[in-house]
Amino acid sequence: MIVGDLKPLDEIVSTILDYKRVLVLGCGSCVTVCLSGGEREARQLARELSHPRHYKDHPPEFTVGSILRQCEHDLVIAYQEIPPETDAVLSLACGAGVQTMADAFEPLPIFPTLNTTFLGASLKPGIWSEMCNGCGDCRLSCTGGICPVTRCAKSLFNGPCGGPQNGQCEVDPEIPCAWALIFYRLKKQNHLHLLEEVKTPPDWRPAGGRGPRTRMRTGIG
Amino acid sequence: MSYFRVNEKCNGCLACVQNCPADALDSTDVGDQRTLRHNMARCARCGNCWRVCPEDAIEFQHLLENKWDEIASLTLAHCSVCGEILYTTRFGETVSVKLDRTIKPLCPRHRESVASLARAHFFSGGKRPKEVQR
Repeated sequence: MIVGDLKPLDEIVSTILDYKRVLVLGCGSCVTVCLSGGEREARQLARELSHPRHYKDHPPEFTVGSILRQCEHDLVIAYQEIPPETDAVLSLACGAGVQTMADAFEPLPIFPTLNTTFLGASLKPGIWSEMCNGCGDCRLSCTGGICPVTRCAKSLFNGPCGGPQNGQCEVDPEIPCAWALIFYRLKKQNHLHLLEEVKTPPDWRPAGGRGPRTRMRTGIG
Repeated sequence: MSYFRVNEKCNGCLACVQNCPADALDSTDVGDQRTLRHNMARCARCGNCWRVCPEDAIEFQHLLENKWDEIASLTLAHCSVCGEILYTTRFGETVSVKLDRTIKPLCPRHRESVASLARAHFFSGGKRPKEVQR
């Protein structure tokens, strides 16, 4: 899922200083599950932003809402009500949601309150780890289901490098070496021969090097 | 109660069934009756059905808002002094089993005051204080 982190409060405040009525809008999907952008977080943010200490004059008037997904243009057009006289929206969605809302409700200013951080998985309750870079050229089939692009700090395709100590990465000893994980996984799978194959350099063009990517699926509608 | 609702405009064309990416919609034709079925556990709430329905028959707002379902109803335990709600009686039983002793249903305030009362009782030679703080 998409993981995001709340921006510093001062940064959020600085975006709404010129506005009087602000909608704080949560998103009900990924960022709700990773506890950063759901309706509960939207209410909490509105409460914190309402404090007069952040403003020279009066704080803006805040309303709070949430919609299942902010990243679907027709859905937000059809179902997201913007309260009358709202002059700005603080979105707790990921970057895709913020941009969709900005397109859908142009020229209403839509400001992000999260830093969209990574595509991750939750291995333990309350912990999300980065797992995928969306590189467009998935090689998980020959690395035991462990992504070297994302989980190796150097994104090596023919690892490990010379740096890991006791299975931990030299970049940050708290991070396990992805190639050590790959080795032990392949050993359990009895597929260590996969490590003997030299991987060719990846084609980074599907990773976004040719500009924003779009996918069209036929047969819908 | 179903979260997926269609209005009277539905003509059974099956556009929604054919376009559901999660296979959460299904239809059965028995005798002279076509029945549409929806499976909430499979539904990804992607809105494709609503998007493709040529009759605007799918009322997606019920999947966005809806109502609360009651999923369990349990008896509450109250503070035996002031009546404040504490926890469920089942929760109290679970904690008692884990602690291997019976816990008295007392709110934090009265747990403290009862403890003070006990201390006062034992350390004052059995003389009971006149007042208990509430």
